[in-house]
Amino acid sequence: MDELELLKKDWQKQKNVFPKLSYNEIYQMILKKSSSIVRWIFIISILEFVLWTSLDIVFRLNGMHTKIENVDMGLFSIFSSILSYSVLVYFMVRFYQNYRKIKTTDSTKVLMENILKTRRTVRQYIFVSISLFAIVLISTIIYIFSFTDQFQNSTIQGEPPLWVVLVSTLMVVLIFVGLIALFYRLIYGILTRKLKKNYKELEKLEV
Amino acid sequence: MNKELEHSFVSNLEQNQNIVHKICRIYTSDPDSHNDLFQEITIQLWKAYPKFRGDSKFSTWMYRVALNTAITLYRKSKRSINTTNIETFDYRIKVEEYDDEIEQQLRLMYEAVKKLNDIEKALVFLYLEDRPYHEIAQTMGISEVNARVKMNRVKTKLKKILNP
Repeated sequence: MDELELLKKDWQKQKNVFPKLSYNEIYQMILKKSSSIVRWIFIISILEFVLWTSLDIVFRLNGMHTKIENVDMGLFSIFSSILSYSVLVYFMVRFYQNYRKIKTTDSTKVLMENILKTRRTVRQYIFVSISLFAIVLISTIIYIFSFTDQFQNSTIQGEPPLWVVLVSTLMVVLIFVGLIALFYRLIYGILTRKLKKNYKELEKLEV
Repeated sequence: MNKELEHSFVSNLEQNQNIVHKICRIYTSDPDSHNDLFQEITIQLWKAYPKFRGDSKFSTWMYRVALNTAITLYRKSKRSINTTNIETFDYRIKVEEYDDEIEQQLRLMYEAVKKLNDIEKALVFLYLEDRPYHEIAQTMGISEVNARVKMNRVKTKLKKILNP
């Protein structure tokens, strides 16, 4: 292609086209903070871990937890707590390992894969946590309905019936899950749109 | 020790800064974004520098980190949302060196390259820099055959952009 060869010649000639940065100007640059996508993914992921684990504290503070704990489910509560904390530790370790693997000196393809993997780990964590949360909640509700006296008595005492409490709790959870899904579509979508597009472009070549 | 590292890095980059400028030229279209990308590439190069062993040339090592930054890591910062277009930000080609027709053709070529996607730009960049295909393939993480095939497709695409 003649035009490309012409461009190549011109390309290699360009010496004085660009502003020449001085030693000092470059030195100043290495002192600044990166604003790369990896840094953002790191910050957002840490926020997600913090947010999700602190939800537990919120539940304790607003009294919902005590309500559930009053319903004595014995080993089940202990078991689910242990499970959710092991899940947290497991995913934190995985996340850290993946994050450490991100290196700009890898090939473009490997680099992209590692970034996407790191992101995927956090997403999996969120979905595993939501599922766990839902399972615990649903089991508790089933337990309350089938085994406790409280449920039968509450209507007589003139308090809001327990099923109202339970249904509204479920609604809150659903809204909450919806918001998380929205959060993913927006933040995560915007952040990795370009990355995914370019990764697909590279993958197309392999087929 | 750290000062020494800083010094060797900054002087290396000072000497080879044209490579980074050229990448910025392909991937951005206004001075703000150009500087922004240059800044980010410098940071990424610096972060990776302690692991630079010197078993390849500094410039060769730079291609990879700098391109990876442009393709994958770089996010346009808010202040540089594209307000100026290509015409107003013109890297001036020395006019006296060309007659009008060639100059016009070159300008069209540069504009056509800007219309390619990020991966294609990287291929064209490495091609213009006269890098061998096995190096292009390694940098991108694809096979050499695929690099050649893709480069041919890019050439065809450029032709189409130039002669619609």
